[in-house]
Amino acid sequence: MAASVQLLCLATSSGVPLYCRSKGESRQLPFSVIGSLNGVHMFGSNQDVLLTSTCTDNTRVCWRVFQDSITLIVMTSEEDASDLYLGRLLDNIFSAMVLLIGLDDLVNLKNVERLKRELRACYKLIDSFLAASDWIGDLTQCVDCVVSPDTDILQEALDVFVGAAESNFGCLMVMGKVVVATEKWWRLAAQEVMLLAWLVGSLAPSSSRDYPIYLPQGSPTVPHRLMTFQLVPGVEVCLLCGPTPSLQQVQAELVERFWSPLLEPLKGCLRTHQRCFPTSTPLHPSILGLLLINREQNKNLFILQPHGVEHSQQQGAALPPTRRKSILRLFYTLAVSAYFPADTTEDKSGYILTRAFCFEVTATPLVIGPTPG
Amino acid sequence: MSGQIPAMSGGCSGCQERSYETPYTLEDGSWESESETASTASAGRTGSCSSDDLEPEWLDDVQKNGELFYLELSEGEEDALIQANSTSAPLINHVRFSEKEAEVITDHKPKEPCKHEHRLKKLANVLKKKKRLYTHSCSKGVASKANEQRSSQPPGPTSILKHQANPKIGVSVQLSYKDVYVYVNPNKISDKALDEGAKLLEAFVGIIHQPSRKNPVAGKLSDRLTSTKMTTEERLVVHSLVHGSAAMKCGQILIGDALIAVNDVEVTTENIERVLSCIPGPMQVKLTIETLSPGPVGTGLSVEHIAKPIPTVNNLVKLLWGQDTTDLQMEIGNIPHIAMYLTLKLESENSKEEQQEILYQYPMTDASQKLKSVRGIFLTLCDMLENITGGQVISSSLLLNGKLINVDYWKEGSNLLLIGLPAERVPLPQLRNMIKNVVRTLQYMYNSLDSAFCKLENVPRLDHFFSLYFQRAIQPEKLNCSASLSSWCYSSSSALFLDSLPGVRWLTLPQDIKVDIDTALSDLESADFGELSEDYYDMRRLYVILGSCLFFKGYLIGNHLPKDDLLDIALYCQHYCLLPLAAEQRIGQLVIWREMFPYRHLLSSHEPIIEGYQEPKGRYFLLIVGLRYFMLCVLLEAGGCASKAIGNPGPDSVYVDQVKATLLQLEGLEASIQDRLGSPTTPCLSCADWFLPSRDKFESLSNSPIISKLQGTSKSTQSSTSRRTLFGDSSLRMQKSSPPKSNSASDNGGERHGDASSFSMNFSPYSTSDMIKKHPRRESQGSGGSEGSGSIFKNKKKQSFPNPFYMGSMKKSLSETETEEMYNITKLTSGSENTLFHYISLETVQGIFITPTHIEVAQLNGSTHSQLIKNFHRCCLSIRSVFQQTLDKWERKYPDIIHNSTQINLRKSSSGLGPLKEHGVLFQCSPENWTDQKKPPAIMSYWVVGRLFIDPHPQELYVCFHDSVTEVAVELAFRLSFGLVT
Repeated sequence: MAASVQLLCLATSSGVPLYCRSKGESRQLPFSVIGSLNGVHMFGSNQDVLLTSTCTDNTRVCWRVFQDSITLIVMTSEEDASDLYLGRLLDNIFSAMVLLIGLDDLVNLKNVERLKRELRACYKLIDSFLAASDWIGDLTQCVDCVVSPDTDILQEALDVFVGAAESNFGCLMVMGKVVVATEKWWRLAAQEVMLLAWLVGSLAPSSSRDYPIYLPQGSPTVPHRLMTFQLVPGVEVCLLCGPTPSLQQVQAELVERFWSPLLEPLKGCLRTHQRCFPTSTPLHPSILGLLLINREQNKNLFILQPHGVEHSQQQGAALPPTRRKSILRLFYTLAVSAYFPADTTEDKSGYILTRAFCFEVTATPLVIGPTPG
Repeated sequence: MSGQIPAMSGGCSGCQERSYETPYTLEDGSWESESETASTASAGRTGSCSSDDLEPEWLDDVQKNGELFYLELSEGEEDALIQANSTSAPLINHVRFSEKEAEVITDHKPKEPCKHEHRLKKLANVLKKKKRLYTHSCSKGVASKANEQRSSQPPGPTSILKHQANPKIGVSVQLSYKDVYVYVNPNKISDKALDEGAKLLEAFVGIIHQPSRKNPVAGKLSDRLTSTKMTTEERLVVHSLVHGSAAMKCGQILIGDALIAVNDVEVTTENIERVLSCIPGPMQVKLTIETLSPGPVGTGLSVEHIAKPIPTVNNLVKLLWGQDTTDLQMEIGNIPHIAMYLTLKLESENSKEEQQEILYQYPMTDASQKLKSVRGIFLTLCDMLENITGGQVISSSLLLNGKLINVDYWKEGSNLLLIGLPAERVPLPQLRNMIKNVVRTLQYMYNSLDSAFCKLENVPRLDHFFSLYFQRAIQPEKLNCSASLSSWCYSSSSALFLDSLPGVRWLTLPQDIKVDIDTALSDLESADFGELSEDYYDMRRLYVILGSCLFFKGYLIGNHLPKDDLLDIALYCQHYCLLPLAAEQRIGQLVIWREMFPYRHLLSSHEPIIEGYQEPKGRYFLLIVGLRYFMLCVLLEAGGCASKAIGNPGPDSVYVDQVKATLLQLEGLEASIQDRLGSPTTPCLSCADWFLPSRDKFESLSNSPIISKLQGTSKSTQSSTSRRTLFGDSSLRMQKSSPPKSNSASDNGGERHGDASSFSMNFSPYSTSDMIKKHPRRESQGSGGSEGSGSIFKNKKKQSFPNPFYMGSMKKSLSETETEEMYNITKLTSGSENTLFHYISLETVQGIFITPTHIEVAQLNGSTHSQLIKNFHRCCLSIRSVFQQTLDKWERKYPDIIHNSTQINLRKSSSGLGPLKEHGVLFQCSPENWTDQKKPPAIMSYWVVGRLFIDPHPQELYVCFHDSVTEVAVELAFRLSFGLVT
């Protein structure tokens, strides 16, 4: 059986399946299986026993109930799936549903058929979580960033642009990774910042969008408008605002004015996005991949091809980027679940575990990862 | 004091009619006749002979199915235990002696499941014999009379032995009387002493009563006096007390007091001997004393006794004996945990019946009921997920009252074993190991899970099994019995990790001791002498000894068994906590006998190892005999070339005696093994606290190698001795603190780094050995600077040392100074300082691991260090789970790669972390009581590195060392495993 992921979403009270998404070459689960997967969980919760996960030799199943109304079940046979990852995956998926539909509709299930139709809008985003992507934000709950050589100029331009649009929330993205963002944008919840980046990255490219969104933590019931404008292909500027201004207004009056002088820096961003940071910064040639997390600002740098695409293709035979990605993801999972339990203050003894550093040497070249602490 | 598992007590009524097929009956008969002749014929027979003739104490504990679990504690332990018991449940063990003719009744009624009565009876039997012999030696006339009596009354002199529910007298004594409870153990008193005419009162209790001149007969005459019905009663006045006796120890019996009654039986000079002679075994006796001054001294003492905390020792022993352990159970009662054995085959017709799918369940507490009630989840998941994914279900996690509970599955056939434990006590990967171990243990004991769980008579045994199991899993600290705090801390932190290792803790010993041990074991195993040889009875022997392994204080010191058998035995011993039990001198005598189903033979029945060869279809028996610190496990085979075992044979006393004899023989080595345990570690360890500058660490600072080097080479030996006397040797401290540098360095907390010596002192160097000499074989790796001084000794001693661990062997042959030098060789880390804190090396091929002994760890006592070790073990636990995942994946992929070793396959399998080999974590810590506000706390960083070697054979190594030296774990492991694999 090939690696596959099955995601089930059900209405908790009735057990009606709302949708199923899957990845990999697996058939959809038969209805009876869906029923019993939901059934065991329901049976347990009736007895005050909450089933959270089960694993077999090759498969992991995870259950989560959100707001007492939506049950998410994920079943995966991917080898590097961990409890930590699955937990965050389900959390992300529910937040994605809130982001696009709003909490009200998800909590009060009046019309299941209508909800099913509405949920179709989330499929793209949800699928992007299931699919392997070049981002790691879903796992780290931090947003993937790009370090541009022209950060100062871009930051200045963005601040002015956002101010002119009478908003406080603005962000410049390249291929779903944040280049610069306004101060207020960084004050959004980490998951929201990450979700917005994923949303923009997952949507089909278009010159501009006006998208109603709910912020899962900030305002789960009141929608805001997310406006995006393509500056150069792959580079978009996003605005989060209220009823005004209109899309046309911003598009016509502001975008051209503020961003056209910066065409070169923007193109520069596009060039560096694979490498994530400027070529001027030297990096040891033996480093194949890098994950750097800033826990205070919830940013991370996730670099798989630090020496450019061509260079890594030469080495590709030894360790293709997908493998590097999976190693880094696994290593992060291992380090976090084993040594940095998310919300524990660990030190009953009074010793300060100020910093820890893990390494692993495998048969494959190397993984060295500094981890947050 | 003996004990047995209550589960087995059901069978003990039948132990009398146990029948031995084959030679045993014959031998039994001969034994009978022998003892008969002994008792009738020779009046001059000595006490030592009589002890031979006694039937072994454990004989009555043998179960119907031949199993035996007999544990007798050593005297000191017993004393404490009885006292503790008496405070919690007073007067439960007391025996009343009726009338003046105190008698012991040997009732043939089916016994209550009370172990005490049982024991009393047994010991009464033993005592009877003693008494018989005693009378013989007194006067032949009486002896013959006694013989007549005995022939007419086969059970011997009868007496009354009753339980006293509520003795009233104890409460309502007059002011001038007081009750004193003393612990009496008749077994302790040798028959010789009795033969010599010492009085029982003196021997048992320790009260010396000088008979008045009018009646100057000693104990042996008193018998005659009673027979002639002469009544010359006299009050028993305490004239003096025997030093160290029970009476003296209790402190409440004063000279001049008078003994009025023993267990509420009035005693006088006339009947005291007989009353006391009826004390059947070790027990508590109430003495009623008429005292002149009912002073407050006595009461004060008694209060103290009551207030004395019950040592944790008792918990374990109580559990093993299967005594009332409700208090222990209560403590974990509200922690959800469960063991269930369910069947997946549900017959629909029977479905009306509730819970018919539960074949076994433990425990029955409320918290566990919750888990039981959701068993449907487990059954459904097991069934469904197997159908969908084709894989076995391994584990589930549940939230119960906000607590995460992990449930692990083990499927055997159509049945399912479930074990659920809270995640905070047992992490998930750990639980997997635990269920593997429990299944293996059960298979070892019962052949299969089905035969263990599906037999009704096993239920109480399994209850006991799992109560022990959960006690160990949930509150190991309650069962840990180390006396000293530091070693307690050590063992509780390490228990979780070390217990899960597939190996036995190995103690490396000097070569000569090893040879002695191996010789003794081989002698036993050859079984070609004395009663063990076939010539002796001229018939096939009962059992072939397949092999044996010897434990000393819980360390394996000799093994003649294949790895799987060793692991089986180790798991069994671990489960019954026999190893920690032997670690303290707790075992007076331990005899375990049971049929076993070795893992190796379960496996080999499926696939023959060598074509055409078949293991004999025999039955296997495990005999464990423990004496004091030693424990010898012997694996016996019946069938094959020994005679076939029929039915459920019990322990054969010939074999037990031989094993015991071997142990007694080995006891001569105890001193040297103790030496090894107490001597400085062979791979030297450092204490973490030495690496932190601290005010109150004068002793350790003064031990700085730099200083001792400054003071000249003559000091070098001294400073290594100081390692032993590190704690509390004032003369050393004086001498060492003489250079003012060390003072300033410690006071300033590392501020002055001006001169070299204080700098390095602050940094790290408090290594245990100051001069680093390289082992000849390690010469190439050695650092050059230290070579010079080492070579002197090498030249002096032309011996070549087989491996670094056997350094201790030098101890005897070399003079003291030279020995010290030899120890210095054994530094494991490179660089000028010893930076190794702790290590564990696991050899999966031989099933052993080595790690510093408890004593070594206790020597390196320091607050930081104990924290470090705790952290080390916790970290090892997670490292090992990564290793296990890697190995599992490898095993799963390995056949694939073998079969079609194409590149594609290899590449496909390269997901996951791959064949991971080394895993290291860097920790930083600072002392907990950092009072100095101005300066940032000193930080010490250390590595915990685990390494998995797959080639040439799986081997795991975990080390913990200071960050200052970059160590390569391979190198460390190479040096460490020198002694293990050759």
